Amino acid sequence: MPAPPESLLETQRALRAQLFGADGVLGDEAASLQAPWPSEPRIAPRLAIYRNTGVSTLVNALRLSFPAIQRLVGRDFFEAAAQQFIRSQLPASAYLNDYGGDFPEFLREFPAAAALAYLGDVAQLEWAVNRALHASDSPALDLVRLAQLSQTQLARVSFVAHPGMSLLQSQTPADLVWRAVLHQDDAAMASIDLANGPVWLLVERDATGLQVRRLGEAAWRFTARLCAGLELHAALADESNEQINAVLADHLSSGRLIDFRLADNDTKAHDAAQSRGELS
Amino acid sequence: MRRYLEKVRCNYPVSIHGVGLSLGSAEGLDPQHLRRLAELAHNIEPGLVSEHLSWSVVGGQYLADLLPLPLTEEALEVVCRHVEQTQETLQRRILVENPSTYLQFPHSSIPEWEFLAALAARTGCGILCDVNNIFVSCSNHGWDAATYLRSLPAQAVGEIHLAGHASRSLDDGRVVRIDNHGSRVAAEVWTLYAQALQRFGCKPTLIEWDTDIPELEVLLEEAAAAATLLRAAQAGSHACAA
Repeated sequence: MPAPPESLLETQRALRAQLFGADGVLGDEAASLQAPWPSEPRIAPRLAIYRNTGVSTLVNALRLSFPAIQRLVGRDFFEAAAQQFIRSQLPASAYLNDYGGDFPEFLREFPAAAALAYLGDVAQLEWAVNRALHASDSPALDLVRLAQLSQTQLARVSFVAHPGMSLLQSQTPADLVWRAVLHQDDAAMASIDLANGPVWLLVERDATGLQVRRLGEAAWRFTARLCAGLELHAALADESNEQINAVLADHLSSGRLIDFRLADNDTKAHDAAQSRGELS
Repeated sequence: MRRYLEKVRCNYPVSIHGVGLSLGSAEGLDPQHLRRLAELAHNIEPGLVSEHLSWSVVGGQYLADLLPLPLTEEALEVVCRHVEQTQETLQRRILVENPSTYLQFPHSSIPEWEFLAALAARTGCGILCDVNNIFVSCSNHGWDAATYLRSLPAQAVGEIHLAGHASRSLDDGRVVRIDNHGSRVAAEVWTLYAQALQRFGCKPTLIEWDTDIPELEVLLEEAAAAATLLRAAQAGSHACAA
């Protein structure tokens, strides 16, 4: 039998193994490290107190982040799904606003929810809503700086999107489901045609609060390319028309773009860093 | 959330009580978490900032509870280092709270009250004395609550916590008390609170009740009970500030 751990780090790893399994999976049997105390039956129920508190804290964090999902599937189903998710993934930090980004994907793969095709889409929307709600305030891009650029420079500009803004493409009308569920509007819910998709959504927080907007497909694709950091000429691609120019103007005036970079400057900065040996 | 807190702060003093810093993590503090806490403290300008004598992060995973530390010289050094790091980053003194614990490590070598006293002496931090946690841990481990209270350095205690707890019978017939912030403060804890006020003076007191929250009336009754003991302690000691 290996010796019980003595260093603080060994003790903490051993206790994690006792609580959640050596690889972060729940369950006593998964513990592969020696317990930091003599094996005796009265330890198990005491460990269970810590395990239960930890799991219920995380289930509650997920409930707060995914209220529409909980209403759609019910409290008990949500708890069971959340517990299984927690078993597959513990938070990477104590900042629980960041925990749950993979829950939508988990729900898409969750066999017990396979009949609810829209569940993953609604969860993805809720996660975008959380990002919008928790993002820090970022001042909009100063348009005077843009106006100082030449036409050539303007074509090479790439933008930095507001950290609270998300773009989602959903196969089902997730925005309608989400609204109907949170407003407990049964009539609206009943009138939703799930085949009426896909939808292209923009989620953000503006001066008046949270916004979930629908975009046209071309406007959404252009915006997605902008947010991915493509230069303006590449983002415009073959969709350069007046409508897209209006979309860009709307993004700029709404504060969705908070900064820009010029490719030439980036190249120079990259070269300088390389000559200093900072990049391999 | 931050915006609501900022509005509250416009009208009331605020105390920041953390649960996620993991002062006892062997692998060090999460710099992002410390940075966020420092930003919050900078913006809110709280009257008090407190954390727990516990850990919750190992190997890049947050275990979502205030886990117990082995009370060893190594753990004391680790916690002292992290309290100093926090105080330097925040540019202010913090308070460290005694936890409720449900198991002890066989290699613990320092009584919890001595551990806290040494922590306060070495780092200059204050102590948040949770009277319910003292009662719960003493009951679970067979420690003496009077010794615990008597051994804490009175000048370091900057705040007191009270709360309700649950009792559960285990299969072996033993009773374990669990700090759950979900009921009225127990009679024995009120008695211990009166003793704490005698020893530490009239300190800001918080009653924690965050599960199964009752009618406001019940909360007001609990707050009134604490206020009565505070007034009695004040009347009995000229040293107490109003």
